[in-house]
Amino acid sequence: MKDATYEKFVKRWEEVTELPPQTLGPFTGFYKFLTKRFKVMPWPWFVGMSVLFAAALYLLLGSTITLLTSILQKGF
Amino acid sequence: MMDRISSVVVDSVAFSRTVVGLMTRPYETYRRIVHHGRPGEFLGIAFLAAVYFALASLIKVAAFRPFLFTEQFISLFMGAVSGVLISAGMLRLAGRFFGSATTFHALLLAWSYTLLPTVLWFFSTSLLYVVLPPPRTTSAPGVIFSLLFIVFSATLLWWKITLAYLVLRFGFKFDLKRNIIVAIICAPVLAAWSILMYKWGIFKVPFL
Repeated sequence: MKDATYEKFVKRWEEVTELPPQTLGPFTGFYKFLTKRFKVMPWPWFVGMSVLFAAALYLLLGSTITLLTSILQKGF
Repeated sequence: MMDRISSVVVDSVAFSRTVVGLMTRPYETYRRIVHHGRPGEFLGIAFLAAVYFALASLIKVAAFRPFLFTEQFISLFMGAVSGVLISAGMLRLAGRFFGSATTFHALLLAWSYTLLPTVLWFFSTSLLYVVLPPPRTTSAPGVIFSLLFIVFSATLLWWKITLAYLVLRFGFKFDLKRNIIVAIICAPVLAAWSILMYKWGIFKVPFL
């Protein structure tokens, strides 16, 4: 029983360590900061980024944003 | 017969677990898909897509015309299947260029899970088309709806991008630089496919 648990642990460990850590020189810290947020329950970050994106688009296009929505709505 | 039923049940449970996992723990879940993904799970995604295509065909035909409905359904389904096959095929070719030995089937299953946000967006958009048909006006309610719709669409797009990146990361086990090159190699072919689908009137927004 103990051996089976150990084997399971080793298998899992090999799976987890299979990917080499990503390094990006001076940007490694930023990359780790960013990806950490997307690994578990990323929705607050997705929504936050989308709100910022929509606000930026509104500042850029003004009420023309409705045209973009109309095009997207007909896009299915 | 019982074997087949139990296999369908196992695949359905695995598919449901994966869908929940992709929403809450995408990183861990993609590792599991690549290592332990069952080919039968692909049917779950195909079923969801088929439900959407049936709804979209009903809305587009907008009348009881079985021939037009079937024609619309088949063109949507074949268009989507060609998109998935081309995406997985291009990824396989680009991956091989860098020496990856990942199989086409593994990439196909991993990539097909990135269709979840796509199906969700298309499904919601087609329902909204019925409830609040376009065009939107520049009045306050029109602008507010537009902002909410763009937030919703962008949220699903970020999810899609995250899942697509995880396909490359776990599918090939490459670093970021090589993953970006693989994406750049695939982009022109997928862009050409999208233009073709638009010209043929199958998908106005690429179903990728």
